Amino acid sequence: MKKSKKLLTGIIMVSLFAGGCANKETVKKEEPVVPTVAVEKVEPAKPVDPIEQAEQAKQAEQAKLAEQAKQAEQTKQAEQAKVAQNETASQASITAAAENKFETVYFDFDKSELRQDARDVLSKNAEIILKSMPGAKIKIEGHCDERGSAEYNLALGENRAKSALKYFTTLGIKAENLSVISYGKEKPAVIGSDEAAWAKNRRAEFVIVK
Amino acid sequence: MENQDNTYGYTIKLLLLVLLVVVLPSVLYAQAGYIEITAPGNRLLKLAVVPPRSLGAPANAESAKLVSDIITSDMNMSGVIIAESRSQLSPVSELLLANVDFAPWQSAGFDLLVLGEYILKDGQLIIEFRLFDVINRKLISAKRYLASAKDLRRFSHTFADEILRVITGEKGVFTTRIAYVSTLTGNKEIYVMDWDGYNPLPLTKNGSINLNPDFSPDGSEIIFTSYKHGNPDLYRRSLSNTAEVVLSSRKGLNITGSWSPDGNKIALALSKDGDAEIYTLDRDGSHPVRLTINPALDLYPAWSPNGNQIAFVSDRLGKPQIFIMNTDGSDVRRLTTSGSYNVNPRWSPKGDKIAYSRMTDGGFNIFTVAVDGSSDTQLTFDGNNENPSWSADGRFICFSSKRSSGSGVYVMRTDGSGQTKVSQGKGTYYQPAWSSR
Repeated sequence: MKKSKKLLTGIIMVSLFAGGCANKETVKKEEPVVPTVAVEKVEPAKPVDPIEQAEQAKQAEQAKLAEQAKQAEQTKQAEQAKVAQNETASQASITAAAENKFETVYFDFDKSELRQDARDVLSKNAEIILKSMPGAKIKIEGHCDERGSAEYNLALGENRAKSALKYFTTLGIKAENLSVISYGKEKPAVIGSDEAAWAKNRRAEFVIVK
Repeated sequence: MENQDNTYGYTIKLLLLVLLVVVLPSVLYAQAGYIEITAPGNRLLKLAVVPPRSLGAPANAESAKLVSDIITSDMNMSGVIIAESRSQLSPVSELLLANVDFAPWQSAGFDLLVLGEYILKDGQLIIEFRLFDVINRKLISAKRYLASAKDLRRFSHTFADEILRVITGEKGVFTTRIAYVSTLTGNKEIYVMDWDGYNPLPLTKNGSINLNPDFSPDGSEIIFTSYKHGNPDLYRRSLSNTAEVVLSSRKGLNITGSWSPDGNKIALALSKDGDAEIYTLDRDGSHPVRLTINPALDLYPAWSPNGNQIAFVSDRLGKPQIFIMNTDGSDVRRLTTSGSYNVNPRWSPKGDKIAYSRMTDGGFNIFTVAVDGSSDTQLTFDGNNENPSWSADGRFICFSSKRSSGSGVYVMRTDGSGQTKVSQGKGTYYQPAWSSR
């Protein structure tokens, strides 16, 4: 034991007596001052954001087209019903057409609250469901943009889908016909690292469960 | 006791000596008052590692050099020693203390010397290492390993662990592994590799999205979240075979699973009762106990090493911040007070610090903070750095990084020095998790 202690002392002495500061390269720089608004800053200013305006314009356009298509569809349905009296075939074609009509709902950064444009889109989607497929099972998929942690975004995406679900139920869609799933930032709609891409990725999509 | 060892060492047979040295040091170096040599102001010890000498079978210079390079690289990463791979300065016929001429090593400035011998034949490997104290002309440690040739790296790492134990009183982590998520195949699959990036092995091949691996404390299993059956469910998988079972497939999220230090519980975030909340489960996935009750998002639990507390992420104050609570959910307090977006907490094995990642303007960086909220320290400054995970000895942190000098899994010392890319493959790397020993 004595010798071993002497050996240890030897090693320690060597390290103590020899000067040097080999370990002084330790990275302990002053932490940069993080502006507390850093995250909020990147959020689009709602009233003047050109992307959002473009988005809304596009959505309005889509809505118009969808409305026209729906009217055409309804006319067609009426005719079909009159001519063929074959409800099953008619229903199938409505379902197939309606699936593509669901519009995507978009959200602000780190938010799951519904914007006015999102409510409008949800109302239109709800109308399709209630009129064309009242018993259909709808899955709402929540998504996030690439910023933020993958794990936090899984939870955020779920909240987005749940916001849409809640709004659907207030419009009369039965909760038992609705389900949610979050993909966080794992399934971006658009690849890109600018606000245009991010805005398209913060979304909820609607899928008919077969 | 080592006294005896040294006195009779010359006369007893080699194997007996090895046995003695293997058994004794744990007693010798566990003595109170041992001084860690990493303290600032100390000169680092210099270690020379000589490629082991071939015995009997034809020499394989490449393997011998590989062995000394691995030990050298491990020891340099440790930061407590400066190691160099050196060719033999004086011929040694046998690895006995009396045969080693220390003078040239001492005049070359070395404090420690590793010599070795090996036989590599028909895929079988016998390798023997000796660690000598050059100044005091003593044998400090000796180890002999019998294995197959493919274990060459592993046993080189094992002796590096031993050197660190002799020098610091605590064994190294150079035989441990890192699990991670990679997009190598185009999908997020889970892999495991040696801590230094060698021997990558795919664990999942389901073509779905697989996330957040975490090792069981005994290192034999991982838990992870997978969408392979549609919903983000929590799975448990063996590392030694392909056995995989679902642990939690409750409605909604089953994410960010974290194994308790005693291996009996799993903390995770579930959203079965509304939004994401922290729960604990038994290790078979049963008996969920809800710890947080809050309309905000609560996720990413991290156990304290004594199992009494859990750090987690919550946006209950608006933005994601790190909080600490007792494992029964009581005494919730906010840990991080600066930075507007702090996530990915992982508790240090010593219990004193929590590593996390903070989002700033240019992406994420790794920080550590003392458990009382003081000493908030930024460790990375380049690119995007996320998901820190501690080595079992608390000496290193691994993390995923996207930076100009190369993206992948990085390892650094816990003061931020020695940042080294260890992963070697293509694809993007995410969510590394360091195994226990």
